[in-house]
Amino acid sequence: MRQSSQLDLLATLGYVVFERSTSGFELLSLAPEWLPAGPISEAFPFLDVFLPDAEEFWADPRGCSTLPSDFWTQPGADGKNLHFSATAIAGERKLLLIERVGNRFEQTQQLMQYAHETKLAHDEIARLSRELKRATEAKSEFLARMSHEIRTPMNSLLGVAELLSETALNDEQSEYVRIFRRAGDNLLNVINDILDFSKIEAGQVELECVAFDLADVVQDAVEIIGVRARAKGLCLSLDIGPEVPSRLMGDPGRLRQIILNLLSNAVKFTDRGGITTRVELDQENPAAGAIHFRVCDTGIGIPADRISTIFESFTQADASTTRKYGGTGLGLAISKRFVELMGGRIWAESTPGEGSTMHFTARFAIADAKAVSNVPSPKPAALGNRTLRILLADDSEDNRFLVRGYLKDTGCVIDEVANGADVVEKFKNGVYDLVLMDAEMPVLDGYAATRAVRAIEKERAAPETPILALTAHALKEARDRSVEAGCTDHLTKPITKTALLEAIGRHAPELPSVVEVESWLKPVIPAYLEKRRADLVKLKTALEQGDYDTVRTLGHQMAGSGAGYGFAKITEIGGALEESALAGDTPRIRNGIVQLERYLNDIRS
Amino acid sequence: MKKKICMVGQFGVGKTSLVRRFVHSIYDDKYLASLGVKIDRKDVSIDGQSLTLMLWDLAGEDDLTEVNLSHLRGASGYVLVADGCRGATLQKAAELQQRITQALGPLPFVLVVNKADLRDQWEVRSAQVAQYGWPTFETSAKAASGVEEMFLGLGTAIIRDHSQTEASGQ
Repeated sequence: MRQSSQLDLLATLGYVVFERSTSGFELLSLAPEWLPAGPISEAFPFLDVFLPDAEEFWADPRGCSTLPSDFWTQPGADGKNLHFSATAIAGERKLLLIERVGNRFEQTQQLMQYAHETKLAHDEIARLSRELKRATEAKSEFLARMSHEIRTPMNSLLGVAELLSETALNDEQSEYVRIFRRAGDNLLNVINDILDFSKIEAGQVELECVAFDLADVVQDAVEIIGVRARAKGLCLSLDIGPEVPSRLMGDPGRLRQIILNLLSNAVKFTDRGGITTRVELDQENPAAGAIHFRVCDTGIGIPADRISTIFESFTQADASTTRKYGGTGLGLAISKRFVELMGGRIWAESTPGEGSTMHFTARFAIADAKAVSNVPSPKPAALGNRTLRILLADDSEDNRFLVRGYLKDTGCVIDEVANGADVVEKFKNGVYDLVLMDAEMPVLDGYAATRAVRAIEKERAAPETPILALTAHALKEARDRSVEAGCTDHLTKPITKTALLEAIGRHAPELPSVVEVESWLKPVIPAYLEKRRADLVKLKTALEQGDYDTVRTLGHQMAGSGAGYGFAKITEIGGALEESALAGDTPRIRNGIVQLERYLNDIRS
Repeated sequence: MKKKICMVGQFGVGKTSLVRRFVHSIYDDKYLASLGVKIDRKDVSIDGQSLTLMLWDLAGEDDLTEVNLSHLRGASGYVLVADGCRGATLQKAAELQQRITQALGPLPFVLVVNKADLRDQWEVRSAQVAQYGWPTFETSAKAASGVEEMFLGLGTAIIRDHSQTEASGQ
């Protein structure tokens, strides 16, 4: 009686119990209304897959007392879905418990549902992120291309304007050229701002961390702006607090860009009075190297309701501002991002009609006293007395004309080619001190040509000739690509005459163009050099024919005579040739011949 | 004649929705995760032959739970379901096909690329599907397209397989 009532209770709780006997399954408990009629394997098709496991379990429970099944769902008599699970119980009797599951099923399902929805959301975010990346890449590619297309003709326009300004012009013509150049510079600034902003948006901006002198950077920016300020009759002052550390670690280029932007705005919006730049420790941040910068002007000011929006992209205080003062409205948005990257913030205070103060803070590390400054100091543009042989490769006749114009008074000898294949050809047969290489050229582009030149040098065991990439691609990737191809430096068009000469001056090898010789030797020097030039021809022929004896003899003679005539370099090259001939080292012989040819071409005694 | 067909695939590809569309002609946009096995039946007639399809909808595989292959015991065929919008679900389907064949031997099956109503968002490309060379259906449980054809197509393959087995048995 007691057992029966317990089984009835189980039925009330949603369980039915069967006993496995030799004849099949016998129902021990009451049959609830949800139990389908008929044999249990027909009533519950799921048991088709569970009972084989249960039979195995009953035969050998291996120390376990129960074997649970998965959940299953099947329609009840009214067509509504019912959820079940089964448990095989081992012991004296072989029991099969079938449970109609309610809450347990729903709770487990909810957990599963949550996990699946989270995974689906995660996958969707990953998909959107991939799409966004593709779109950003497409935008960057478009910007890079547009920038290239604009910069290429700008290079000619601005360059020719610069050359024109150096010619004899009357006052009216000079004024026209000045306007021409100023408009071109403004246009270039707009392009640079857009490129900068797109790089920030794409997360491609990484700050440098180099040692620099804070006062140098701020003074530099103030001096650059000083020309425009003085032209408007404005006073410009700079006040750097004595407590401010001078040697810092950070990105001086970007810091200068922020200060220049704020100063440039101040000059733009101020007609009377002056502009003060103050640098002091950030009172609100006790960290060493936390600096507070402010640029105060006495200009038109910013209305209170606009002050919070001026740091947003493409925003100026008033639409009419753009018409009157120009600009893209990107300068402050770019500055804001840079400041944030420097761990600081930027804000403005202003009284319309009285002036504005732009504040920003930034955190730097304190530089080690021994750290070497990395701020590039401008180099003099002059090339000195050096007569350089330059190989100029550019498919644009206009650009070649411009570089010729820039270099016309320098005494440089220029060989021009219009494609990369001709660069390689010229390089094989000539001697150059420097190559100016356009990136995009027909037949063979500048990158491939650079790689070919480097391969030739490697084969000859010759030192690397400076190759300056001169391209209209301004994005960082373009610079990386140039460096990867083996270029020494990457110059961006449009380029000014000063920048080009400075870069050439920086990279061109120092040449012993003037050799001092004893006065009594002077009469015999031309004949001596003429003989060496004849040797050069003989050396080339000998090398072609594999005649190492001749190379060795000529090398030996040069090694013996050069220094005596004042040409230590000829002795050095001769010695190397002799040694290389003895070793049968063809690449080194070829390099020696190139060195000799270069040296003989350079000599002016 | 009663035949068991299993629905297998990654979670969220629409296995339950395909069965609901086929058996009850309804569709619910709300996703509800399946647990264990859901069993439905549908009587069909193929080439004049009556057939009761027992449709076993197996919970979709996810990172934590694998399809319990013992649930395929006694199956006459199966439906491999992928979601056209999620490329990874096609790889999962291919992986399941291998595991099932390994465990149960060759069985008639069809590959289903579901959610054809969202075709403009599909990651799965027809070339990827074609590489397997399997009988394939593009379906939309939501738009009721291709569902009936798919189940009847598999039913036909199962009948053919059944006849061949019987013939070889004789």
